[in-house]
Amino acid sequence: MLNFIARRLVNMFFLLIVVSFVGFWIIQLPPGSILDVQIQRLRMQGGNLPESMIQALRDRYGVDDPFYVQYWKWISRSLQGDFGTSFETDQKVAERIYNRLGISFGLSLTALLFTWLVAIPIGVYSATHRYTWPDYLITFVQFLGLSIPGFLLALILLIMASRLWDQPIGGLFSPQYADAPWSLAKLWDFIRHVWIAIVVLAIGATAGLTRVMRANLLDVLNMQYIQTARAKGLKESTVIWKHAVRNAIHPLVMSLGTLLPALVVGETLIAIILSLPTIGPLYLDALRSQDMYLAGTILVMLSALLLVGNLIADLLLAWVDPRVRLE
Amino acid sequence: MTNVATGTETAGIQIISEDDVVRVEDLRLSFYTNLGVVRALNGVSFNIPRGKVLGVVGESGCGKSQTGLSIMQLTPGRIEGGRILFREFNTSEAIDITKLEKNGPEMRKIRGNHISMIFQEPMTSLNPCYTVGNQIEEAILLHQTQDKAEARRRAVDILRKVGMPNPERIADSYPHQLSGGMRQRAMIAMALSCNPTLLIADEPTTALDVTTEAQILDLMRDLQHEIGTSIMFITHNMGVVAQMCDEVAVMYLGRIIERAAVDDIFYDPKHPYTISLLRSIPRLGIARGQKLESIKGTVPDPYSTVPGCPFHPRCPAAIPGLCDTVMPDEIFVAGSRTHTVRCHLYT
Amino acid sequence: MATAAGELPKVARGKKQEDVGQIPQWKLMVRRFSQSKLSVGALVVLAIMYTFMIFSDFIAPYPHDVLDSNNSFAPPTQIVWGPDGPGIYGLKQELDMERFQWIYTPDTSVIYPIRFFVQGHEYYFLGLFPSRLHLFGVDAPPDSNARVFLWGADKEGRDLFSRVLKGSQVSLTLGFFGVFLFVVIGSIVGTASGYFGGALDNLIQRLIELIRSFPDLPLYMALAAALPLNVPITVRYFLITVIIAVIGWTGLAREVRGKVLAFRSADYTAAAIAAGASHWHIITHHLLPNAMSHIVVVGMLAIPGAIGLETALSFLGLGILPPAVSWGILLRDAQTVQAVVTYPWLLIPVLLLLVTVLSFNLLGDGVRDAVDPYA
Repeated sequence: MLNFIARRLVNMFFLLIVVSFVGFWIIQLPPGSILDVQIQRLRMQGGNLPESMIQALRDRYGVDDPFYVQYWKWISRSLQGDFGTSFETDQKVAERIYNRLGISFGLSLTALLFTWLVAIPIGVYSATHRYTWPDYLITFVQFLGLSIPGFLLALILLIMASRLWDQPIGGLFSPQYADAPWSLAKLWDFIRHVWIAIVVLAIGATAGLTRVMRANLLDVLNMQYIQTARAKGLKESTVIWKHAVRNAIHPLVMSLGTLLPALVVGETLIAIILSLPTIGPLYLDALRSQDMYLAGTILVMLSALLLVGNLIADLLLAWVDPRVRLE
Repeated sequence: MTNVATGTETAGIQIISEDDVVRVEDLRLSFYTNLGVVRALNGVSFNIPRGKVLGVVGESGCGKSQTGLSIMQLTPGRIEGGRILFREFNTSEAIDITKLEKNGPEMRKIRGNHISMIFQEPMTSLNPCYTVGNQIEEAILLHQTQDKAEARRRAVDILRKVGMPNPERIADSYPHQLSGGMRQRAMIAMALSCNPTLLIADEPTTALDVTTEAQILDLMRDLQHEIGTSIMFITHNMGVVAQMCDEVAVMYLGRIIERAAVDDIFYDPKHPYTISLLRSIPRLGIARGQKLESIKGTVPDPYSTVPGCPFHPRCPAAIPGLCDTVMPDEIFVAGSRTHTVRCHLYT
Repeated sequence: MATAAGELPKVARGKKQEDVGQIPQWKLMVRRFSQSKLSVGALVVLAIMYTFMIFSDFIAPYPHDVLDSNNSFAPPTQIVWGPDGPGIYGLKQELDMERFQWIYTPDTSVIYPIRFFVQGHEYYFLGLFPSRLHLFGVDAPPDSNARVFLWGADKEGRDLFSRVLKGSQVSLTLGFFGVFLFVVIGSIVGTASGYFGGALDNLIQRLIELIRSFPDLPLYMALAAALPLNVPITVRYFLITVIIAVIGWTGLAREVRGKVLAFRSADYTAAAIAAGASHWHIITHHLLPNAMSHIVVVGMLAIPGAIGLETALSFLGLGILPPAVSWGILLRDAQTVQAVVTYPWLLIPVLLLLVTVLSFNLLGDGVRDAVDPYA
């Protein structure tokens, strides 16, 4: 088992190197850079900009370096925790990312938890009550949940909530709590701001997973060992939850790896609508303004998140299923 | 040989004989599918004597597995009539299983404790996520003791009893680490872990190779003598019947068409279906080149009902005008009190 | 009688199999598919939407890009019954100084009739034949400010109905072609990988692993951001299609590879090899036909995702760019609560997107159940 993890980690390391290289290459593809925009702006403000100053800026950002030099500068600094200085705001990239990554991560983990807590029981209910009207209703709602664009849902919830009670619109905190230390009141304020994002994030994933859970459980319920469990005299609930669900849960565990980064970025649209300061809008801005160090760092970080997520999913799978463990 | 139809010559016996553990009377079972109703069992009656092995034979789809599952109340179909009287060890009162709530506490107390069951597919009948020991202990903890250490000890004991080498290690193994034969032994261990009054074995050796099959059959025979469990042995293999069973019930399309002691079935079969079934077994000593007999035709569509005797379309001795219109009653073969048959040829 | 619980479906199948082997496979599939009412309904809905898309220029009463400051955020036009059949009133535009938004009041003195099959702005039907014929239009003098906005107007006074129709030409097709492209790539690469194995397989698997190490949406966003901005709309359309395909094929290729590996070791393939069949023959006769149903299902189920993806990219300003129209671009007008509450008709494109994606999901579900009629 340890051997397996070690091999996976080594593989992951090499993959990340290639990923960072390819990712950075894609990001720097578009001609020009944000520097051109800034020089343009400086010119507009201060009239004529001396050629020497432009050259100094170009040198500082390494715009004229060949691609591999840029990459090497960026990646070698990144490994020391210095992700470079963002073109746009002159802020440290690391600072900007960490602030927002924390929020994105928190929201996504909560949404993931929510997804599992809802998808498993509903999937089980749907499978054990097949062809009854609640099952049909659940199936219909699933399709709706799969098909509804997240931002439409976010808008609807936002409108409803702001009509029904004074739902705060936008941001993470009300002004009076923004700089206050954490307290119960601040937490409550925070929840009031982000619950829509969590619900919207969770709903698409929940719909998909419920459907998978139902299909799998139906397969498992046809297995002989379920009959064996019943023949032992076990309660039906024990048969379902102990013997069937554990065998049907594989795809849910495996989805963990892809779901986490998907949720982290999936909130881009929703975050725009709800004006939440998360990683998605930051990434979008960085891409649009060709802020390549910032965009490249976010892309590679998300890839790392995906790879780590996959590893965790594999380990969880081994924990759930002895057949995987012993291979 | 015990007395089969104790006390009476007619159908509809009310009391369960002291010698029987199970008495099934006129059992009817239907499946309601969106394509129509399937009448899987059309009035099945039989009894299983204490400490004996009853073989139930027939082709695929004749209802033999459903009969077994009905006794456990595990059939997905609907029991629409009849009674299943069951009496556990050392009690005089019989309970009608069909009256119990399907997954209610009384029924669950019987399952795995007084009646247990083993299935055809040893490869899939154990849960891959739990160790063999864990799965055996589960039944013991449910019915016999609350003590986990005690349950573990009993599980290892029973694994040893079914001939597992190194039972402690087997108890900690997962099913996929065991061979098919080993898994079936584990299933038998699980089924016998609570010393059941009745063991229903649904084709337990069909999926095994011949040598393993022989070992498993020997094992079941030995344990049956030791524990005194009655066995309902469901199979389509007449060879296995000869080896295992004391009595045989032959089923065709949801009915028992012949019932006799094992010797009578093999040496004096009455029903044309039984005769054909026996003739279709390949045997040593038959002249080479001689064609093996097969039963002509196939089992009719389960959605349709055949008028008269259900076997008449395939019967070589069918009497036109009688067999295709009138359903024959179950009657005793002349000169016997244990051998019954459902055929117009013997009325 | 095999397993206890497996028996019921088997009995049920007994009936179904009556028609198996008696009619061609495709007819069986059609029969299975039509048993699923929801999927048939979805197919009908999609058929209607695609018909509207094909005739969109003919149905749309106005060009999608003509600005009209007199009708900024004009609400859906009320249709009245006049002396010559249906008609509309002209609108008077006033500014509400308090809330700073336009208020429109109908001038009920004159009813301008709606005429059918009228001459209007010129367009190219299917991009080929020039035409001026439109399904309907209002017969009104230019100064009357009587325009028919079935679904209201946007900030620039453009007819939302015409814009939605125009946008469907992108939104309903781009995802479709993207999926088609990736299905083709995925099938070819997957088959090659599984069939020839060895170094080729290894290379392809590493490539797939690399692509899949990137999270989907950020990679799509990065690639879309790398596209040149100043190219004609058709080129950009094509490039976005390619982006969808370039990332999407990996999952399918893996699955096809798995299938091919399984079929390759099947006895009938061994028999074909023993009989001296060529690689080409084995692939086209023994491997692909078997994997085909799976490929079709994966493709069908991927379409709604691809449509949503295009909409999302366009919404984010990385996909189709104005002045071209797609539903994603229309959605940008509907991103604040304020706008949606004040001008609810701006949500119509979202509803259409919802209906489209829902229909494709239901259709894909029905197809999945239908392609394997022997099950």
